[in-house]
Amino acid sequence: MNLKMTPTAVVLGGIVILAVIVFGVVYWPWATRIEQPSAIFRHRSAEEEKGRLIYIANGCVNCHTQSIRLVDWGLGAERIAQAGDYVADRPILLGSVRTGPDLSQEGGEHPDDWHVAHFINPRYTRPNSIMPAWEFLGNEKIRLLTRYVQGLGLKMADRRLERQKFWKKKSIKAYEAGPEKNVQWLHSQVPEGWRKIPNPYPTTKAGLVRGHKIYQDFCIGCHGPVGDGMGLAQPWIYPPPLNFTILKGRGASGGILYYKIMNGITGTAMPYFKRELESQKIWEVGDYIAVNFIDESDADQEPKGIDAAWEP
Amino acid sequence: MVIGTLYGLVGAIELVAPDLLGNIGWLVFGRIRTVHTNLVVFGFLTPALLSVGHFVVPRLLRTQLFSEKLGIFIVCLWNVIVAAIFITLSIGLSQGREYAEAIWEIDILVAIAFALIFINMIMTIRNRQEPLLYVSVWYITAGIILTLIVYAIGNVIWVPGAGALTGIPDAVILWFYGHNVLGLLLTPLAVGIAYYVIPSATRTPLYSHTLSLAGFWSLLVLYSHIGTHHLIQVPAPTWLKVVSIVGSIGMVIPVMIVLINFWYTVKGKMRTIHENIGAKFVFTGTVFYLFTCIQGPIQALPQVQRLTHFSNWVVAHAHMGILGFSGMVAIGGIYFILPKMTGRSIYSKTLAEFQYWMILIGLVGFMVVLTTVGLVQGNSWLNGETIYRILPQIHNYNIVRAGLGVLIVTGAIIGLYNMVRSIFFNLGETA
Ligand code: HEC
Ligand code: HEC
Ligand code: HEM
Ligand code: HEM
Repeated sequence: MNLKMTPTAVVLGGIVILAVIVFGVVYWPWATRIEQPSAIFRHRSAEEEKGRLIYIANGCVNCHTQSIRLVDWGLGAERIAQAGDYVADRPILLGSVRTGPDLSQEGGEHPDDWHVAHFINPRYTRPNSIMPAWEFLGNEKIRLLTRYVQGLGLKMADRRLERQKFWKKKSIKAYEAGPEKNVQWLHSQVPEGWRKIPNPYPTTKAGLVRGHKIYQDFCIGCHGPVGDGMGLAQPWIYPPPLNFTILKGRGASGGILYYKIMNGITGTAMPYFKRELESQKIWEVGDYIAVNFIDESDADQEPKGIDAAWEP
Repeated sequence: MVIGTLYGLVGAIELVAPDLLGNIGWLVFGRIRTVHTNLVVFGFLTPALLSVGHFVVPRLLRTQLFSEKLGIFIVCLWNVIVAAIFITLSIGLSQGREYAEAIWEIDILVAIAFALIFINMIMTIRNRQEPLLYVSVWYITAGIILTLIVYAIGNVIWVPGAGALTGIPDAVILWFYGHNVLGLLLTPLAVGIAYYVIPSATRTPLYSHTLSLAGFWSLLVLYSHIGTHHLIQVPAPTWLKVVSIVGSIGMVIPVMIVLINFWYTVKGKMRTIHENIGAKFVFTGTVFYLFTCIQGPIQALPQVQRLTHFSNWVVAHAHMGILGFSGMVAIGGIYFILPKMTGRSIYSKTLAEFQYWMILIGLVGFMVVLTTVGLVQGNSWLNGETIYRILPQIHNYNIVRAGLGVLIVTGAIIGLYNMVRSIFFNLGETA
């Protein structure tokens, strides 16, 4: 082969190739970009923009994606990302590693107080978390960050956040009316069928050990080691985490506990666990609470219908 | 001789970068990670590869570097840049775009530095005594000038504040850039150096000139346009994804061409490689190049990305490419030219061997552990398990990974000591 490699050939050849490529894969996608905002698009508020800058400065993007794919199930998977969702993002914060959950639809997942406690120290609300604590940022920056994450999901987030605010008022009112009224209110929100269901699994040692493990991994930061609601997150959360001991003698059935753990209590910091815990795990952590903290369990009551095949 | 001072920097940063990761307790991990990636790429690899380049090019052209003074100025400038990157990112001044986090002022300095390096190189080439340009010179020159352009475009330097476009086009341009930091900066520099070290260590002419040509041009054409393979699962234009996937698979061509060329040159001469620690590092680098670039096209396939994307699988790939290939070649290049520069053999061959094994074991361990974690994550996500539930599952792997990191850090510290001793306090025999 007799192609002579002169300096000109190398430099010019390289530049020409690059120019063609830049035109093809950078300029052309830009020229044909979609600027049509999607159905859920709205502009961010000034505070949300400020929070976004804090998000960028602290490298949240290194652990959190904002890019929901066809194959996803986790947080945010209720909407697959569209180009029109990102039209105001400069820079776009898709992320490349998913060490923490995707935050595309984080807005309204939790009320503000949950986020504040979580930012102060993620281990407070999520005992196994490996997210760094952001207490050093100070209250104002944490407030702005909270505004930003509560706006993630744009119009979809707004709808969820409305819901949080609506129920926040109700739950505070109930809490301030005293334990008797609060428990009554909490239980009146559970559909009647659920209220009547006892825990279908028997109380066993193995089940309690498993329940204990789940409690440690998911609940201890709020409800505390002895179930009195004095976990580490307590100072930031209002209404504060429930003190389980007040449930004694107030008709907390296995079904009520199950329903609350599964669906959470919108408006309060109590998250839903239906994504993280399968059915048996919810029953067992419920029974752990009932046996150890409430001190009354309805596990394994008759009538149970046809005997379950799996039973100790 | 040329740019001895660069080594101080190189070694220091080499030490600093993994050392920072001692903080793997996720202490403000968000910033640490940004500092880590920037320091290893711009603080360790880029200056190390460039410095070897500054030695190799004049030597191949049988001339002096065009301007020593300019060279020293660039070194100082680069030191300032690296220090500035380190400080700004640590205090949270970041543009939040992976590998392009540095703020605008620094972007400008980097562009200036690359422009100056280019001038220095091209003038050296014009002053050459040797009419033929050797392959290494093509790669190094092309790497420098194209990086200058790619850096300017990728950092969107015409938008000073944000340094970014808006929406999906920003992702496209970011990964065009991010990909070409690897493809048009680290890869050509490292390949160029390997093209020098391998024939020179084995004292054998290159296996084939034609292959060199084919490898060079196909690398430029193919590597530069496939950045969108980082965005396969994003609502970017489908045609662009198809182009990038096809190009990624095509990448097998330049890689195999180059490796065949290297390995046929070495054929029957493995002994000489073993005897020279520099060549040993470089040769190992070419082996990792093969691994990385077999994995690369595979993980560019959409079916594979369903499982691997966003997981530690990609982090394994990144360490294999960046440390295993570019890093090994950079360290080897330095060890190889040190005796030629100082006129004495390196301070301690044993220490260098020790460093070699520390890094190799650490790196292979990384690959195994991170790939495993990646598969655990990927499979669990596809099964609908939440991120939080998987954290305890990958916890132990992260501990092992941190342990392996200690090996790499140790290797880096030993390497720094050895290099400093070789340059400044070396009373060893003359080579
Ligand atoms: C080390 C990587 C890491 C960094 C850096 C990080 N996070 Fe997280 N984040 C996680 C992990 C892991 C979780 C899941 C466990 C948990 O909820 O704490 C999480 C959870 C979250 C959640 C809760 C999601 C939910 O509803 O369950 C929010 C909100 C969040 N992070 C925001 C942020 C913000 C804002 C920053 C930057 C200031 C940040 N994260 C930085 C790893 C990280
Ligand atoms: C972020 C804090 C937080 C975490 C974590 C948390 N909870 Fe709660 N929980 C609350 C709050 C707040 C309430 C409601 C208090 C109120 O409205 O008075 C609540 C209420 C409840 C109730 C309602 C009881 C009733 O009779 O209506 C149950 C049951 C419960 N939590 C169980 C759990 C379990 C089980 C876990 C772990 C799997 C858990 N919680 C984790 C904060 C938390
Ligand atoms: C044949 C060549 C190669 C191909 C086809 C290839 C392909 C890919 C693909 C598809 C990804 C994205 C994976 C994902 O996000 O799911 C990726 C990531 C990456 N590759 Fe390669 N690769 C190649 C060679 C290299 C080399 C030689 C290096 C190092 C010099 C390298 C370094 C990286 C890095 C650092 C990332 C991670 C980027 C990030 O997300 O931060 N690759 N590669
Ligand atoms: C002590 C040894 C090292 C340790 C402990 C270490 C650890 C890490 C960690 C924890 C991450 C973040 C991954 C994540 O986000 O989940 C990372 C990313 C990265 N590291 Fe290292 N690293 C080490 C050495 C190196 C070296 C020597 C290089 C290069 C020469 C390097 C290049 C990179 C790159 C390019 C990334 C980005 C990967 C991606 O985005 O996919 N690392 N490293």
